[in-house]
Amino acid sequence: MADHTHALAVEGLTKRHGSGAGAVDALVGVDLSFARGTFTAIMGPSGSGKSTLLSCVAGLERPTSGRVLLEGTDVTSWDEARRTRMRRDRIGFVFQDFSLIPYLSAAENVALPARLAGRRVGAEAMRLALERVGLQSRAGHLPSALSGGQQQRVAIARALIGQPAVLLADEPTGALDSATARDVLALLRSAVDELRQTTVMVTHDPVAASYADMVVFLVDGRVSGRMTAPTADAVAAQLAHLDQLTGVAR
Amino acid sequence: MTALALRSLRHRLPAVAATFVAALLGTAMMASFATLLESAGGASGEDQELLIIMGGVVGGWDALIVLFSVASTVGIIADQRIREASLLRTIGALPRQVRAMIVYEAAVVTVVAAAAGAAIASIGGPALFDALQRGNLITSSSTYAGGPASLLAAAGIVALVSTVAAGISSRRATRGPAAFSLRQAEVPARGLRWWRVAIGVGLVTSGLVSAVITITVTGKSDDAYAAMQTSGSASIVVGVGLATLAPLLLRLLARPLRPLLGGSGSGHLAALNTTRRAYLLAGMLAPVIVLISGAVGTLLMVGIDSRTLTAAGDPEGVGDTITTINSVVLGMVCLFAAIMVVNAGVAVVSQRRPELDRLWRLGATSDQLRTSIVMEAAMVAAIGILLGLLGSTATAVPYSIVRHEGLIPNGQLWLAPLIAGLAAVLAVGSAWGAQRRPAR
Ligand SMILES: Nc1ncnc2c1ncn2[C@@H]1O[C@H](COP(=O)(O)OP(=O)(O)O)[C@@H](O)[C@H]1O
Ligand SMILES: [Mg+2]
Repeated sequence: MADHTHALAVEGLTKRHGSGAGAVDALVGVDLSFARGTFTAIMGPSGSGKSTLLSCVAGLERPTSGRVLLEGTDVTSWDEARRTRMRRDRIGFVFQDFSLIPYLSAAENVALPARLAGRRVGAEAMRLALERVGLQSRAGHLPSALSGGQQQRVAIARALIGQPAVLLADEPTGALDSATARDVLALLRSAVDELRQTTVMVTHDPVAASYADMVVFLVDGRVSGRMTAPTADAVAAQLAHLDQLTGVAR
Repeated sequence: MTALALRSLRHRLPAVAATFVAALLGTAMMASFATLLESAGGASGEDQELLIIMGGVVGGWDALIVLFSVASTVGIIADQRIREASLLRTIGALPRQVRAMIVYEAAVVTVVAAAAGAAIASIGGPALFDALQRGNLITSSSTYAGGPASLLAAAGIVALVSTVAAGISSRRATRGPAAFSLRQAEVPARGLRWWRVAIGVGLVTSGLVSAVITITVTGKSDDAYAAMQTSGSASIVVGVGLATLAPLLLRLLARPLRPLLGGSGSGHLAALNTTRRAYLLAGMLAPVIVLISGAVGTLLMVGIDSRTLTAAGDPEGVGDTITTINSVVLGMVCLFAAIMVVNAGVAVVSQRRPELDRLWRLGATSDQLRTSIVMEAAMVAAIGILLGLLGSTATAVPYSIVRHEGLIPNGQLWLAPLIAGLAAVLAVGSAWGAQRRPAR
């Protein structure tokens, strides 16, 4: 029976892109579980399968084998439409490129997943959501009138408003300068602390990883190590070590 | 940049094909009429007059539709390149270089297409001339004299208009800071430029003026065809004028229609798109207006003419032939306009691919996206029908009054719903076809 203590778990997750001689194994038998209310950073060299992992979890891609369990429910074999609804209703996704809809205001972007589900977001819920990310005065602004950091905060408000089982963030600070990045990371941290929001964040930045409770290192599609209570220095040292390892392997 | 433009051409075949088809068919039609005009030089008396009317007046309406369609197709396609333009600029391409690439691409495609179109017209022109002769509209003493001059002039005009349109659109693609537009991957919403409003209003006004002149002046002339010369073009001119104003009209008219879309997720998306992104969907609306306005207006006129010709007096007994020629010409124009509706429908939906993918990632199901695209197309079709029928009255009403059928023609009113239905099927069908795989 499903394990209800975990917000998210993957078992034996494998993803192969392409076939034959040109096939790439992006994930090779990854086992991970994420307890409720925890903040995990996924790190690894470029091409190690971090984005593929998040895509498989969010149902954007279908794994070649293995299982994805969301709050104990096996969602792996769900069809396209059902996975899309799961993404809308149970998962919050924050993308490196913000993925805001350019012709919608900040508030309308935040309300979009609910609108797609045929629901409306109440005024009070919207006020709270924007206040949480410090943008209550920007509700009516279009993305083009917001800075990069503000746009990403709109995206975070959009991801959080549905109280998702898990918040997935793929390099959420990748397009931001370091000061703005720290604001965004602090925001993610506060969602974990105050809302007990289970969060999984892909990053290549040791400073960003230090905001998490735990770091998982991926190398060539495999879990190669973990670190709890990470500090930026310790993470940087571990990454350098991994780069050496992969350098030798090639 | 030239090499880059050539390579990007090969990677964007559907968009290139749309420009190519518009310029090819457009030139073929325009150049065919142009050869009649050239032949008029050597013809005598009434033959000369008829050739000038066919080549100049009928060909002129035709040229208006062709040039408008080519320009708007090129415009839609240049808009598709905004993301790529921003990307090139972030890696150091100057706005000028990016603009040159877009213009160069349009120029290469249309020059090749126009040359091929002129080649088609070198067969189409003599065929048209032959048809006029066999229909006894011109005597056998006149000979076809179309040559390189008229063919090249038509091809040159098409290529020139297309290149200028690409130049104007390319400025839009490179406006503002590069990084900004990369993130938005979209032209910032903008109002219509003053010159576009001026052109639109000017065309609508001149169409209405010809309608008034038809009733007050040419309708009273002894020549039974004087009224046709002033009113025949009115619906096309008004239609093109309204089409020029399409972004504005769509925004205005879509708002009251929003409740019809319902409150579902797809209805919500469709409502947002038709109002907030009117400038994008206007590319689809414009040819629908032109098709309906031109076709319904002119067909009703031909119908009125054939019913009332005897009463109006047809001394030369050419009524039937004129009806036949009118129908052939109209058929060509309709076919062309219909192809433009499909062209624009496909181009507009393809342009939205990245945005549709983004919506899908955010949780819009493929079904929802599909439904919203069809709803948008249906909305555009409905508004296009409304405006097109309005435009068609600029020809039909004055001609009906002049030929004593009253405000409303006595027959063939079924043409309006038939053509409107056809346009709606084309608009919705092309959008449906283009969205088949909106997401992965
Ligand atoms: N759609 C795809 N087709 C083929 N290979 C892919 C595709 N997506 C990712 N890959 C490959 O899978 C591997 C993992 O990619 P990704 O998960 O994006 O890595 P990361 O996010 O860690 O940089 C890489 O080798 C990448 O080239
Ligand atoms: Mg990645």
